[in-house]
Amino acid sequence: MVATYLRRAYTSFLAHVVDIPPRLLALLLFLILLVFPVTNPKFSFMLLLSLANLSAIFSASWDLQVGRTGLMSLGHALFFGIGGYGAAMLIVFWGFPAWAAIASSALIGALVALAIGYPCLRVKGPYLSLVTMALPLIATGVVFYFKDVTGGERGLFGFPRLFPFLPYAQQFLAEYYFTLLLLFACGIALYKTANSGTGIVFISILDDEVASKACGINTTRYKLTSFSISAFFATLAGAVWVHLLSAANISLLTLTTSFLPIIATIWGGIGTIYGPIAAAYILQIVDRYVLNEVFPIETHWHMIIFLVVVIIVIIFWGRGLARFVTDKLDDLTEERNLDERGPHIWKKYKKKKA
Amino acid sequence: MEEIQKEEGLTMHLLEVENLTKRFGGLVAVDNVSFHVDEGEVVGLIGPNGAGKTTLFNLISGFIKPDSGTVKFKGKNIIGLPPHKIVNIGIARTFQVVRPFRHLPVIANVIVSLKSPRGNRKIEWLKTPERKALDMLEDVGLTELMLEPAENVGHGDLKRLEMARALATEPDVLLLDEPFGGLNPLETDFLMKSIQRVHLDEPTRGIVIVEHKLYALMRIVKKVIVFHFGAKIAEGTPEEIAKNKKVIEVYMGKE
Amino acid sequence: MIEDILINGAMTSGTLALLALGFTLIYGVAEVVNMSHGALYMVGAYLFFVFTTIFPIDLLLAFVLAVVLTGILGAIIYRLAIHPVVDDLLASLVITVGVTIIIQELTIISFGSYRKPVPSFAQGFLTLAGVKVPNATFLAFVVSLILFGGLWIFLAKVKIGKAMRAVAQDHEVAMLMGINTERLYMLTMGISATLAALAGVLITASTTRLAYPHMWDTPLYLSFSIVILGGLGSVKGTLVGALIIGYAEEIFVTLSTLYLPGGGFLKGVVAMAIMMTVLLLRPKGLFGKRIEMEE
Repeated sequence: MVATYLRRAYTSFLAHVVDIPPRLLALLLFLILLVFPVTNPKFSFMLLLSLANLSAIFSASWDLQVGRTGLMSLGHALFFGIGGYGAAMLIVFWGFPAWAAIASSALIGALVALAIGYPCLRVKGPYLSLVTMALPLIATGVVFYFKDVTGGERGLFGFPRLFPFLPYAQQFLAEYYFTLLLLFACGIALYKTANSGTGIVFISILDDEVASKACGINTTRYKLTSFSISAFFATLAGAVWVHLLSAANISLLTLTTSFLPIIATIWGGIGTIYGPIAAAYILQIVDRYVLNEVFPIETHWHMIIFLVVVIIVIIFWGRGLARFVTDKLDDLTEERNLDERGPHIWKKYKKKKA
Repeated sequence: MEEIQKEEGLTMHLLEVENLTKRFGGLVAVDNVSFHVDEGEVVGLIGPNGAGKTTLFNLISGFIKPDSGTVKFKGKNIIGLPPHKIVNIGIARTFQVVRPFRHLPVIANVIVSLKSPRGNRKIEWLKTPERKALDMLEDVGLTELMLEPAENVGHGDLKRLEMARALATEPDVLLLDEPFGGLNPLETDFLMKSIQRVHLDEPTRGIVIVEHKLYALMRIVKKVIVFHFGAKIAEGTPEEIAKNKKVIEVYMGKE
Repeated sequence: MIEDILINGAMTSGTLALLALGFTLIYGVAEVVNMSHGALYMVGAYLFFVFTTIFPIDLLLAFVLAVVLTGILGAIIYRLAIHPVVDDLLASLVITVGVTIIIQELTIISFGSYRKPVPSFAQGFLTLAGVKVPNATFLAFVVSLILFGGLWIFLAKVKIGKAMRAVAQDHEVAMLMGINTERLYMLTMGISATLAALAGVLITASTTRLAYPHMWDTPLYLSFSIVILGGLGSVKGTLVGALIIGYAEEIFVTLSTLYLPGGGFLKGVVAMAIMMTVLLLRPKGLFGKRIEMEE
């Protein structure tokens, strides 16, 4: 009862008070973030924000897969780990420069997605979730088995950061801008993909895969595409991540890591792409800063708090996660957005109507 | 497309169903059904509920596999092909219970079909997908609702959207599953005219319609096939069927 | 070597059957894929650890207490977190995964990340058909058999058990017959959690002798591999599935000690591989969908 009232109040507030087009808001925030370092924050905070940028990319990539195509994967950490370990191993054992390592890992991630995607995506709904949830586990086992190459439990560390040629102080700044621009680029890429013709087909698969097939769509191929694109960006995020921490270990492959995008999408609005970006950002700040220095709480309680909130949100706001997923695709159907990205012919028809 | 004359003087039908059978557990849903559709034929499939007509469509369109029998399209057996491939060789279908893409606007629903390999064929190179989609919507009278999310659209309009989506793949055979279901008399009339226009636009296209509203169906089809308990019990022109004793029994008995 | 595989495989399968039965029960009755099943296994093991090491009491009492408390926890989890979304498979999936992580983090907070030793409940070995089997393992096997059999009888003869089967077969009709599905689901979850805890204590106290906060993953993956192989909702299928996977693992471990040293970790992959094959070729599993009691 209370929940319904609150929900209505919230929606009404958004509609009447915060009526800024999402694009303008995003631009505004981006400008703020761009200028932010002028306030001269601590290195650790810059690092935190850099990590937040990457986490946002990771969550947005998951949103494309889940919120726009309906592939509920619970093992996204797999690609984060492939990116992290891949880049680390390429640098430590094959002397790749950072850029090459990152780019190569991302490509490897996409290829792995194509390879394992085909059997995985053939199974439907909850089974897909089960199967994907187990993938990072298998990867963890592989990591432990080949401990000479992966560093086993301790992981790999000590490899150079992204901009070793800069003085120490400037490195954090450079990393911050790099990750920010990366977030901007990846975010736009994901958003554009989601709203392209291919994105339309993705949504058709989400809404009704049978009907999509009846339209002549090879849904398996499109699901594989979505899965691979998502994997590419997740792997990319992971590859850069390990550079910022100069360490790669199995924390990359935990269930908690897989769950971060889930929390971000439920907080931010699944299917919107930009919602999870913002939410992941805030999540990182809350997790590493607010709950560490402002209101210090022991680390392991953070996740518990986030999850309790998520569970409450699903129970009260969602009344069905599947419906919750599809309910949040409202921005797609706003006329404003269609005008912006649709061809001119639509505008012509709209004018004729009026 | 020419009809190929074989030595024996047989002609190849556009769509040929031969001895098709499908069982679900102990229930025989489709019982040794055989019929054919030629170019330009508009065929009606009628029969009491549960007579297996939708199952038949599901078999032809590749969503389920038969226990035995074949379905030949332009002479080639299509059993075993996945549904999307069957659409891409030229057989499109609509669903009895509408299946729109709820979150996409009406025009985007049609664009999905245009993204399939067959729908994407650049027959007229000047037309963008959106232009083609608009044409399809014009044909079924849905241009007003073009930007409306499908979930806000009324039932009657969704039925027409189903047809537009199927037509967007330029099928050689169009399977309509109860297109008149739930339509009021005005909508029914409009749809009848739409189907007739669809037929006239592409005279070589075969259309198969499953329907209960006999008064609408009988006026637009040339051949009627009657089913009961999954088996074909009669075939003929609408006039012949209306007088067929067995058919009357089946229908009277039910009502 | 063959006898080793035969006997050890049976021992493993017994406890696995008990574990998987809990998973299949809650799915068959309430259509919930309970991803916290492994976490409940872990809670059982940890509680046993608590009642034998931190607050030591009689071994048998510790066993009973660990199992019963976990059962109650399961029912509570159902009531709070699952019941509101019981009709939405996807939501209950996400929420139960969340519950798993919460339990894991709480475990780390309470006990730290390092492994805790779990005492065995029997010492020594006995010989079965020429194979040396630890008493504890044999005991676990016997207990599993008894409990599995007991549950079979419960489902077949006892009124509540029959109600569970009825609900598993047809929810609407069961409701029309006046069965309070909410309370039934809660009870089923309690039983399911109890079974998970039982498996947790039995397997940990006899085989691994260790408790650590990430130990929930293997039981979870084994459970749903077995259940998918046997067919979600089928008790007979669970038994058969447990036998197949138990033996498959045993064969794999035996072979890997010969040909792939250190490859024991891949044991989990065997179960997963079987599950994926089943999902791709015959998603119904061996014995289909609802709880069936073919005798």
